[in-house]
Amino acid sequence: MTRLMAILACFFVWFFLTLSSLAFAEQDGTEKESTGNEKRVLTIHGAANRNVIEPLFKAFETQHPDVTIHYTESNTRDLYEHFLSEPETRPDIIMSPAMDLQFKLANDGFALAYQSPELKQLPSDSHWRNELFGFTYEPIVTAINIDILAADDLPLSREQLLNLIRKKNHLLDEKIGLFDIKKSGIGYLAWTYDGQQSRSYGRLLEAFGNHQAQLYTDTSSMLQALLKGQIFVAYNLIGAYSYQWSEQYSWIKTIMPTDYTSVIMRTAFIYRDAKQPRLAKRFIDLLLSPLGQQILANQSGLTPISPKAVGPYSRDALSKLPHGIFRPIPLGLELLIQTDDAKKQLIYNEWGNAMRPLSERLSSP
Amino acid sequence: MPKTTTSMRRQLILMVSMVLICINVLALWGAHIYANRATKVSYDRLLYGAALQMAENINILDSKVFIDLPVSAFETLALSNSDRAFYAIMSNQYQVLTGYNDLPSIPFTQLLLQSTEKEKFIPIYYEAPYHEENVRFVALGKRLLEADKVNDVFIIVGQTLGARQAAAAEINRMALHFVSLFFVITLLLLLFVIWRVLRPLQAIKQAITERSPLELSPLETNVPSEIAPLLKSINYFMAQLDTTLERLKRFTAEAAHQIRTPLAGLNSQAQNAIDETDEALRQKQLQHILESSNVLSNTVNQLLNRATLTHRYQSHPFSPVSLDQLTKDTCRELVVWALERSVEIEYVGDIQATVDGDEFALKQMLQNIIENAIKYSPNKGLVEVELMSTNELKNVAVVLQIRDQGVGVPDEDKEHIFEYFYRSPDNQASGSGIGLSIAKEVAEHHDARFHLKDNEPTGLIVEVIFPRRVLSKNRYPKVKGARL
Repeated sequence: MTRLMAILACFFVWFFLTLSSLAFAEQDGTEKESTGNEKRVLTIHGAANRNVIEPLFKAFETQHPDVTIHYTESNTRDLYEHFLSEPETRPDIIMSPAMDLQFKLANDGFALAYQSPELKQLPSDSHWRNELFGFTYEPIVTAINIDILAADDLPLSREQLLNLIRKKNHLLDEKIGLFDIKKSGIGYLAWTYDGQQSRSYGRLLEAFGNHQAQLYTDTSSMLQALLKGQIFVAYNLIGAYSYQWSEQYSWIKTIMPTDYTSVIMRTAFIYRDAKQPRLAKRFIDLLLSPLGQQILANQSGLTPISPKAVGPYSRDALSKLPHGIFRPIPLGLELLIQTDDAKKQLIYNEWGNAMRPLSERLSSP
Repeated sequence: MPKTTTSMRRQLILMVSMVLICINVLALWGAHIYANRATKVSYDRLLYGAALQMAENINILDSKVFIDLPVSAFETLALSNSDRAFYAIMSNQYQVLTGYNDLPSIPFTQLLLQSTEKEKFIPIYYEAPYHEENVRFVALGKRLLEADKVNDVFIIVGQTLGARQAAAAEINRMALHFVSLFFVITLLLLLFVIWRVLRPLQAIKQAITERSPLELSPLETNVPSEIAPLLKSINYFMAQLDTTLERLKRFTAEAAHQIRTPLAGLNSQAQNAIDETDEALRQKQLQHILESSNVLSNTVNQLLNRATLTHRYQSHPFSPVSLDQLTKDTCRELVVWALERSVEIEYVGDIQATVDGDEFALKQMLQNIIENAIKYSPNKGLVEVELMSTNELKNVAVVLQIRDQGVGVPDEDKEHIFEYFYRSPDNQASGSGIGLSIAKEVAEHHDARFHLKDNEPTGLIVEVIFPRRVLSKNRYPKVKGARL
């Protein structure tokens, strides 16, 4: 009788053990790692300005004194194309705010899956498949040189911006700054996302085209132009840089459009064939950890993804400024549409038609 | 002691567990199949849905294929949020219009076949490895019409299997949890039921163990109807045992008395004979002693016979016995002894009768009855032994009658005559008083009825009615030795 019960009990224990071992069979594979006394090098390619991201590298190098980080900075589209065209010089980690391009690389299997212990305390939609990790939460903003306003109110929404453009009319000819969507990955992403969100997109395009908007490949040059008075309105900038400039120069105002505010995440992934996979994982851990997130908030001026981080640029602080509904660009398969060639061609055509110099448009039938 | 073959409880539990395990394994297996099929169908539909949304946004404009993929198609795919997805829109010239240009094993032949033969495109599902993962693809055709031109495009959408595997695993896990719970609960319930069902047996055992070995009153335990026959048998058995013990007790007491009294008589007679000086008187006394010792030895013989018979009842199976032959033999053996007492024995009857029985016991019975008849016959009396068959009570029966012409037995004595050592108060003949009771026991052991009747004008008829052919072959007597 008791023996029978014991056998039954054993059977059950075995059953559940087998089951749980199946469930938790996922394990880290063995890692290749170069050992030796020479300094190890972690190569990172990114789009963030060096001075913005530097504090994080410092923190990592303090944690790992034998490691040097080689950081290469480039524009988001160049970053992507370089990655695809130069397989020999692929870095250990690639970081970029162009979520669509990052996603495409991860979807195509270039990313190494890593179950970081830090992921638990981050929002579940901030990473994809344990391959692509979002680490910032950055609103897309409009910056305005208030000299143009004169007696008018600051345009808080896109609708008000359109009204302002209509009102100022020729004063804004060649005085509006935009990302060149053909050259800047982040520009294309933000622009196409606008296309998905709002009906004002068409009128914006028309207005920008009519006033021969100036095209820029990165945020810094656009802000420079704004500062110098070459342009008065800069549309779809990355919030972090713009807010820094607003702080420095009082006549430059940064606006989170109140109809809706797009939000992008800077993402990072470890290259599948990284030379330093273990170091790369440690770096991702730091990036996502409360410490790393706080460094971003305090020293980089980037808004960290973690809702727990505090500081002037934390998510909490942002939500207290005037803003529209935050519309984060989802980190998922939806991004594939942004990388679709046919779609891109359509957008380019539409964009090209709108942005043609006036003379060209007048001469065409 | 009978050997315990196996525990009923253990057998029940084992069988119940086996049945439960079988059922549960079947249920799990069914759930597994269902989970796989259900997830396959539902995720295939998602895939197909995405492909359809893409197809809807492919048009032909100025002889050029115009593709404007909708976000919703990708949002549909994103429902499986941890899976990679791949897609391609292709012309019927194997040319990738947009999307991934190296998708594996596209079923072009089938698609082209559909486009040439059928008017309608049916989605084709297939699995193929891509980017080091297994990918489920759907391939769908769309016919683009412009004026009189026909152009077909093919949409291929694929997704890795993570979500569907996770969903299937989820259903399996649910099923496993449910089945385990079901298993445990049913097992506990069944264990309880088994305990409940077997409890009366335990109660009976308890009741019997707790009794003193001498207490034979019926058990008063409450039991379910299925166990009641068992309890009834036990109670019947105990009642029988009680009677037997009671009879044995009385018999022993009587036997002791019957043996002690003649022995005391013998003792005093022998003492008298020693003291007697008159030779003639001493001779007479010695004669008495001899007679008394004959009676005593007769009594002892009868007692031993009875003991033997009792033993035979328990150990000898029945076999066919030719009753007529046996009766004739017995009469023949007794005829000389009868003639010494000036009594004649006459065998009447010409039937042949065979009954199932114990030949030795039956012979004892016949001997006792006939001897008894001879003993009580008057001088020159006649003892008639008759064997006949009747149709009494619709049963063909064999009837044995032994008739004598003695004084008979008054009705009030007929009830007592079978008690051990009973002797009629006005009985002068020597005897043990045990013969007829043995005869009756033998008769009853053979399921025969034993009657006493009055003979005309005087005398006693002993009638034994055998049912013809007592059928059971190896019948043992009802009352066996006590086995407690």
